[in-house]
Amino acid sequence: MSKAGRWGLIALAVVVVVAAFLIARPGDDDGDSGNQAASTATQTSPTATAPSAPKPPPDGPSATAIELKDHEPVDGVVDVDARKGDPVRIVVRSDVADEIHIHGYDISREAAPGKPARFQFDATIEGVFEIESHEAEHAGKDALIARLVVEPS
Amino acid sequence: MIEIAHGIVGRSDLPIPEWLFGWAAAVVLVVSFVALAVLWPEPKLSRASFRPLPGLSRVLHSPPVDLLCGLAGVLLLVLTVYAGFEGSQTPTANFAPTFVYVIFWLGLVGLSVLLGNVFKAFNPWRALGRAVSWIARTAARAPMPAPLSYPERLGHWPAAAGIFLFAALELASSDGDTPQTLAIAALVYSVIQFVGMALYGVEEWTERGDGFSVYFALFARISPWGTRDGVIGLRPPLAGLADFRPLAGTVPLLAVMIGSVTFDGAAEAPIWTGMAPDISDFFQTLGLSPEKALELTFLVGLIAAIAIVYGFYTLGVRGAQSVGGGFTTRELSRAFVASLVPIAFAYVAAHYFTLLLYQGQAILTLSSNPFGFLASNPLGEVGTDIFGTADRSIDYGVIGATSAWYWMVGFVVVGHVAALTLAHDKALTIYSDVKLAVRSQYWMLAVMVGFTSLALWLLSQANQ
Repeated sequence: MSKAGRWGLIALAVVVVVAAFLIARPGDDDGDSGNQAASTATQTSPTATAPSAPKPPPDGPSATAIELKDHEPVDGVVDVDARKGDPVRIVVRSDVADEIHIHGYDISREAAPGKPARFQFDATIEGVFEIESHEAEHAGKDALIARLVVEPS
Repeated sequence: MIEIAHGIVGRSDLPIPEWLFGWAAAVVLVVSFVALAVLWPEPKLSRASFRPLPGLSRVLHSPPVDLLCGLAGVLLLVLTVYAGFEGSQTPTANFAPTFVYVIFWLGLVGLSVLLGNVFKAFNPWRALGRAVSWIARTAARAPMPAPLSYPERLGHWPAAAGIFLFAALELASSDGDTPQTLAIAALVYSVIQFVGMALYGVEEWTERGDGFSVYFALFARISPWGTRDGVIGLRPPLAGLADFRPLAGTVPLLAVMIGSVTFDGAAEAPIWTGMAPDISDFFQTLGLSPEKALELTFLVGLIAAIAIVYGFYTLGVRGAQSVGGGFTTRELSRAFVASLVPIAFAYVAAHYFTLLLYQGQAILTLSSNPFGFLASNPLGEVGTDIFGTADRSIDYGVIGATSAWYWMVGFVVVGHVAALTLAHDKALTIYSDVKLAVRSQYWMLAVMVGFTSLALWLLSQANQ
């Protein structure tokens, strides 16, 4: 192959690769992200789907509820899904005194029997963040009780 | 699910989205076929130019610079060990875990690729070895040759073992991120280095037997900065790998390097999180405690990942051997091993990019307060604020998930292109017949596409 032919082939490959990227990349509100938003809403923050509704009371149906028994999540480790910028509400009920910590956002709240730990904040950082029980951690047990998953908006 | 690895951070990456995975996989194929068509018919990298920079070389190799760098390395080692024993045992509060696993283990990889073999200057074991040998020589007023010559059979095997043990400590041990464990590990490693240097000579051992020296020096060969006849100079990137001479154990070392990152990635994937509890239960029925059973499970997973990487590469080499040319599997295996170095870099860069970017910031806080004690506590332990940065927190806004995805995929694709280029160049130098060289490259191409696809798949499997 001649030198010009080689460079032509490289140029063609670059064009194809760039074009494919532009076509494949989802836009801001095409079907793909819509689907993900819908699946998000099934787990958390229905506020995003019903923006006109009055603000639900804290600890209402909009909050993700996590129940701990002896520092362990009753329903296993769940994902709390959110999109960047969404408000997030998490309520952790515990049958014993505990301290719950959300990594990355670095928020800690006390939980006691009858006094759940309530979290309310905006999902400003993208990524997957561990939510842990400090008491379990001190006892040397598996501290992970849930994960906060924040997708780009 | 039990988190062992990287207990020091509570954040991890989102998996790359499906469309990006598909696009990147397509790019890998396009790149590979274009490469076959357009790559040069004469070896180029192996005969690359080298521009010596004697001025720079004189400054960097001058005794004061040498001494200062060595001293800095020794001080950091001492600080790591001291903080590990005496400081807070909370992994995130103590200097040792973040320094060892993030700044040293990951940061130096990036630095080596950009600036060449920086670690050689700061290597604390080499610095101490040279100091001791200088004192001994001065006292004896005679040259002190090493008692043994480094055996050829040993090659890179001690380095492969060292990196494997470090990976096992990081990924399989349940208290691998405990400051005290790290301090003990650093001391044990130091003792082994001193014994090796005493037996075979400081430079002889360091270049082959010290796992970290070998590890960083391999990545430094990607960089345009190199040394020839003791003079620092510039060369085309990757040319250092074209000149690389593999030893016994080099291929297993690369398998450990790629396999350990593979395992770390796969450990978050459903394939492993589904399997691990069963394996762990099996070990418990054999009478192991739950913790030991889990550690053993992860060790088995780590070894399996390394074996898979080794097996896959060997398979490709056997294929290349089948096209003819009269080479043994071992000769070919060693000939092409340098092309795995950019792949290993792509694995490390893609997998740990955000960890370095985020957790790396913590070193500012930790260097101000290396022991990690609070301002004051009932035991009388007092926190410090040496540089006034002890209260800094990690800024998670430095990069968004979308940009991080593009960087990760970028590393993987660029690593793939570099690996293909190197393998192609090497084939042209070892095969007398260009046609045979190209035919052998179908097999190496399959190996590279396999490793690259695995890297992309791991990125798409994170935290599923």
